[in-house]
Amino acid sequence: MSNNDHTKDFVGGGVSRRTFLKGCALAAATLGLSPDVVPKMVEAAMSPKRPPVVWLHFQECTGCSESLLRSARPDIATLILDLISLDYHETLMAAAGKQAEENLRNAIKKNTGKFICVVEGGIPTKDGGIYCKIGGRTALDIVTEVAPRAKMVIAIGTCAAFGGVQAAKPNPTGAVGVQDIVKGQTIINIPGCPPNPENFLATVVQILTYGRPPELDELGRPKFAYGRKIHDHCERRPHFDEGRFVECFGDPGHKKGYCLYKVGCKGPVTYSNCSVERFCNVGAWPVGAGHGCIGCTEPGFWDTMMPIYKHLPGIYIPLGGGIREQAEKIGEVAVGGAAAVIAAHAAVGVGKKIFSSVKGSSQKKDDEK
Amino acid sequence: MIRKEPRLYYRVFVWSGTLRLFHWTLAFSTFILVLTGIYIHYPPITTKWAEFKPQYIMATLRYWHFCAGYFFICALLVRFYLFFAGNQYERPTDFLPINKRNLQSLVHNIKFYLYLTDEHECRMGHTILAGTIYFILFICGVIMGLTGLYLLYPETPMVARMGHDLFGTPQQARLIHYLLNWFFIFFIMVHLYIAIWNDFKAPDAIISGAFSGSKMMPADLECPIEELEKIPFEK
Ligand code: HEM
Ligand code: SF4
Repeated sequence: MSNNDHTKDFVGGGVSRRTFLKGCALAAATLGLSPDVVPKMVEAAMSPKRPPVVWLHFQECTGCSESLLRSARPDIATLILDLISLDYHETLMAAAGKQAEENLRNAIKKNTGKFICVVEGGIPTKDGGIYCKIGGRTALDIVTEVAPRAKMVIAIGTCAAFGGVQAAKPNPTGAVGVQDIVKGQTIINIPGCPPNPENFLATVVQILTYGRPPELDELGRPKFAYGRKIHDHCERRPHFDEGRFVECFGDPGHKKGYCLYKVGCKGPVTYSNCSVERFCNVGAWPVGAGHGCIGCTEPGFWDTMMPIYKHLPGIYIPLGGGIREQAEKIGEVAVGGAAAVIAAHAAVGVGKKIFSSVKGSSQKKDDEK
Repeated sequence: MIRKEPRLYYRVFVWSGTLRLFHWTLAFSTFILVLTGIYIHYPPITTKWAEFKPQYIMATLRYWHFCAGYFFICALLVRFYLFFAGNQYERPTDFLPINKRNLQSLVHNIKFYLYLTDEHECRMGHTILAGTIYFILFICGVIMGLTGLYLLYPETPMVARMGHDLFGTPQQARLIHYLLNWFFIFFIMVHLYIAIWNDFKAPDAIISGAFSGSKMMPADLECPIEELEKIPFEK
């Protein structure tokens, strides 16, 4: 791969057979399939009839595309771009303006029911969806036109899957994921902020080879990637089971690689294969690097996963001008309140008893007199 | 009201063996659940000695939590069965404020606990105040059981679907599970206090009743309990 035909590689130039084989073996491993299927995958991937793909960008940071293209493993991006025929991608295509919109229209018309629609970014719905417009049309408009005409939809990233960060309270633009708008269409959610490119690759290869999406969980996420908790595959798990926890960042436990549960790791409630797949071809992932999981692949990411350094969310108490209290405070209030009420109740009871016995004895004295 | 002592009491059989079995299973399992749950929520620093000897403290306490959780769920199932198949006093119609008589009784209970009256209402079953709170506790227990099962088996499709429809993500379920934990702690404290307080104030001996199943009823009281065993008892 020489430097001067770099662009050619990105927009679907040649990839060596070796890269193909490596990529397909990687996809098979990610999918949890036996190596026997690799030849079949290579055959499907090498087929000249590449599936047309329309890639839509809405409310997002382009982080999903960026992480795919600028990963330390450019062959994955090249491979993906070589497996598919990317007819429309705002970040990558050479066309602009009117011509670009023309491309989109043509791609849909030519390939109705055959193309794969990839959506990146959330879709604002408030006020008629005016908070995200492309070429004068709202995201809502575009997605309701394009997605139903596709063969299937891949929602890449947490924003497209569940609304993501712009759907955090108070969600000023009414952002939602694709599945909340497009009904009756096969939607594969590949959430993550950003998702692991290998999961996207494996999904695409699976679709190419078998013509159907991988098995999905009840949130529409492929089970091969999102079927297990991070916590259940974490290299720090033995420390969790043995009760060895990082108390604060930089303490001796942190240096020894203890479990990050007490500094807010969301691994116990987050579904992803990060701990197995790892990132960037260097075997790195957040928990391995010493920071807890922030739960970015889950619906309600942000609202339910904040604060980052507490393992349970803070809850909103409407008293006192809207203080954001930690969940722990509730406990103190409950137990403290109960203890105070019991003490007061018992004190009144005893006081009454003493009072009436004093009164009683003085009455007796009166009687004796 | 000045009580005349000695007074003639009947020992009246109220709580069936099944109900008492439920009560003590629930009590012990809740006790263990609360203690192990708090450890799971905030494991205190044991790191200093955890380095030297393998001890699996979190794994063990979680295991106890799940075992106790199963006892807890079984106890709730038994109570649910008794809502329909239990004796007269074990059915919700007897202790929920759903008719005028029970509502009046509820008002009276509240007055009694606020020291506004000394007159203790000798009731065969639960008082209405207690019954209502037990019913709320039962509902909370069901929520605890469901969120607990959801946290325990989030990968089982049926459980995952149930949890998703009822509580949302496992993280939301975990928050509910944790917050209700404090309701149980609150309940344990108040329940123990009220039981002891009642033993001082009222003659019906509810603490021993939790073991023996019988309550003491003043003989001069009109008791609509012809069908039940009455054992005269001189105090
Ligand atoms: C009165 C009843 C119960 C109480 C007070 C209780 C309390 C707790 C508490 C405080 C936690 C820690 C929450 C956190 O900070 O993450 C917890 C976790 C948990 N409980 Fe319970 N619980 C009860 C019943 C149950 C039941 C019936 C089950 C199901 C068998 C169950 C299963 C679990 C599971 C699976 C976890 C998560 C453990 C983990 O994250 O490692 N609990 N419980
Ligand atoms: S670091 Fe996080 S994911 Fe890993 S064992 Fe601890 S709590 Fe679980």
